[in-house]
Amino acid sequence: MTANEKINDITRRVNDLKEILLGNTAIALGAVVAGVRVAAGYPGTPSTEVLESVAKYNTDGKISVEWSTNEKAALEVAAGASWSGVRAIVTMKQVGLNVASDPLMSLGVIGTKGGMVIVVADDPGPISSQTEQDTRHFGKFANIPVLDPSSPEEAYEMTKYAFELSEKLHLPIILRPTTKVCHSSGTIEVDTEVYQYEPEGFVKEPKWVIFPPLSYRRHLEIEQQQKEISALFSRLPFNRIEGNGRIGIATGGAAYAIVRDIVESYELDVTILKSGAVFPPPDQLYSEFLQRVEKVLVLEELDPVIEEQLYHIMAVRKIEKPIRGKLNGFVSPAGELRFENTLKIIEKFIGRKLKNIENESGMVFPQRPPVLCAGCPHRASFYAVKKAMRGKKSVFCGDIGCYTLGNGKPLEMTDTCLCMGAGITVAQGIKKAEPDTNVFAFIGDSTFFASGMTGLANAVYNGTKINVIVLDNSTTAMTGHQPHPGIGRTMMNTSSPKIDIFSVAKSLGAEFVEKVNPFEFDLAVKTVREASEKKGVSVVIFEAPCAALVKPDNVCAVEDCTGCKKCIREIGCPALTVRDRKVEINRALCNGCGLCTNVCDRIIRL
Amino acid sequence: MDILITGVGGQGTILASKILAYAYVIEGRNARTGETIGMSQRGGCVVSHVRAGNAHSPYIPVGGADLLLSFELCEGARRIPYLKKDGFAIVNTASIIPVSTALGMADYDAEKITKYISENSNAIFIDADKLARECGSFRAVNTVLIGAACGLGVLGLSKDSIVQSIKKNIKAKYLDLNIKAFHSGMKTTGEMKEKCKVI
Repeated sequence: MTANEKINDITRRVNDLKEILLGNTAIALGAVVAGVRVAAGYPGTPSTEVLESVAKYNTDGKISVEWSTNEKAALEVAAGASWSGVRAIVTMKQVGLNVASDPLMSLGVIGTKGGMVIVVADDPGPISSQTEQDTRHFGKFANIPVLDPSSPEEAYEMTKYAFELSEKLHLPIILRPTTKVCHSSGTIEVDTEVYQYEPEGFVKEPKWVIFPPLSYRRHLEIEQQQKEISALFSRLPFNRIEGNGRIGIATGGAAYAIVRDIVESYELDVTILKSGAVFPPPDQLYSEFLQRVEKVLVLEELDPVIEEQLYHIMAVRKIEKPIRGKLNGFVSPAGELRFENTLKIIEKFIGRKLKNIENESGMVFPQRPPVLCAGCPHRASFYAVKKAMRGKKSVFCGDIGCYTLGNGKPLEMTDTCLCMGAGITVAQGIKKAEPDTNVFAFIGDSTFFASGMTGLANAVYNGTKINVIVLDNSTTAMTGHQPHPGIGRTMMNTSSPKIDIFSVAKSLGAEFVEKVNPFEFDLAVKTVREASEKKGVSVVIFEAPCAALVKPDNVCAVEDCTGCKKCIREIGCPALTVRDRKVEINRALCNGCGLCTNVCDRIIRL
Repeated sequence: MDILITGVGGQGTILASKILAYAYVIEGRNARTGETIGMSQRGGCVVSHVRAGNAHSPYIPVGGADLLLSFELCEGARRIPYLKKDGFAIVNTASIIPVSTALGMADYDAEKITKYISENSNAIFIDADKLARECGSFRAVNTVLIGAACGLGVLGLSKDSIVQSIKKNIKAKYLDLNIKAFHSGMKTTGEMKEKCKVI
């Protein structure tokens, strides 16, 4: 089936009805119908499903789709494709753009040829991220236009438009959805035609080589171009003024949808400024909006970007209107906007109560913090290191992945977490400051390839004795089991050379490198002890597949439990539950890993 | 029509929201959903919002849900404030005890939780886990609960649309089991409705 037929099929399947599509899938399909030929990315919540969906709808195999080793690699791959005249998309979460910011900044100067869209998902809350950073700033920083969808429906339209716009401007376009757009779904009618074109190929020209004189010339051109884009954005339907009230609400992204729901529910007489193409700011439209209203409330998630743009235009065009938002503390600087808190802010702004919200149940329910799954090999690895180092002064540096959950009770084996790959290097700093401490760095297999190898080289080169523990579960588990360079398979299910972490660590010069299955518990503990006693850098690779990918062939059971609960206190596996003061094993959850049998003789494998 | 689906990561709430949302689309209505995906999936609380009609934002406001479909007892109780005064709750009686309770950090008192739900909502309790297992797999809890909602007659959807949506969203291999589970849930609440005239 060709991509065209497949998309026809999607729309035809139920009596020509529309589809329910996840925001991320809508972005992917927008790219597919726009004729994307190269797609690259690195997994990260809430962006992951974009690239996965491109792969899924790549039915005729015309699109080259890859999980790159990290976001910097992905962005550069897409840039090369664009320079060769094909349409390219690159996907990542917001912190991924920090890694890719080096090529991003230069690409803003050099520009593009084939339409190039950089999808960067922001995560207000944050719900599953390290930071609440706002990618719209990167647009301003790099002089790259930013589109900010408010719904899956708009994300679909914006993605298609972004490719056209990129080719018109010869610039990459940042599409910045947020979690509420990525992980919500809407009703969408998918186009039946895929954009057809013949790429010109790579043409050798001086403009693809960044040199200081070129940068200077381009800088002048780009600043002029920003004014033209601003004028274009003032006429774009993604940016608009709705309503006629004297009270103004300026909003954009997912917050716009909430504002619309509130305005419609309570029939508020307001004028809404909806900012969808948010950088460069549509100055003319902003100024029309400001002229029409008496005062303005700005409702946007993350940073006060629209708010600062409004202040800027007021200063330039000598308009004076009171603005309430994040800058004067009217709106909280952090966290998500939801219906309830947005309603409260609007009530405060218009000076009347609209609804009594009773969110207090008066009951206290047990919390359910996320935990490592039953049978997770990371639990065994953490417990082995904990046991090996018991009584010795140690610091355990963590990293980004499921294993960040090693921080929780009862394991408490993650003392630091900064960003991707930082565990290995933070560990080196701690070791330099505290030479008598045993310093460990835990890193997952995918993270090791993404940004762990340079850190390991640094430790060897500078002779800093750290103990690296690679938690190799043969997948990128946290984001939904994507393949990576160590697996021997690509995301399009073709086979690839398997990059062996053991050989990499050896060739980077680590003194002690050993592989061990963490469920061979005594051997695991012994190996960690041995590693910690070596003088040079040690690397222990704990190899065992992710529990979510293997079917258990047996389960554990407790015989004559004394009720001491040591098993729960030591390893905290979710399959260990208490009934009538005795520990029972939940067979629906138990994976049969047998780690608990190392804690208590009364637990056996059936 | 606003439906809140709640449970614990891994129970299949997202698939349930897909099935319901698509059933509304089949009947010519617009629908949207909002999901929890990511870290909270690892045994954490998950909530899916299904909205049919013209709502713009994916999340149902507190006090706005017509129906609460709960996959787990305590998670149902936790989200009772989302129900409208005249909304209905269909609650699976199965409990998943959190690690925090096993560690002795928090109480999980099923009796108290059940009482709270009964006193604060129009609730129907069913052992959906048991019904699902009887149909062939505990994983069919989602279709049992959708069937229960259909049997109660609160979805504003025809049975045919739901079955059509189940057929589209569930792999052929598991289809028979899930259709059976759907009917089992539907029968259970249908009988309850007859007996107690809850609606």
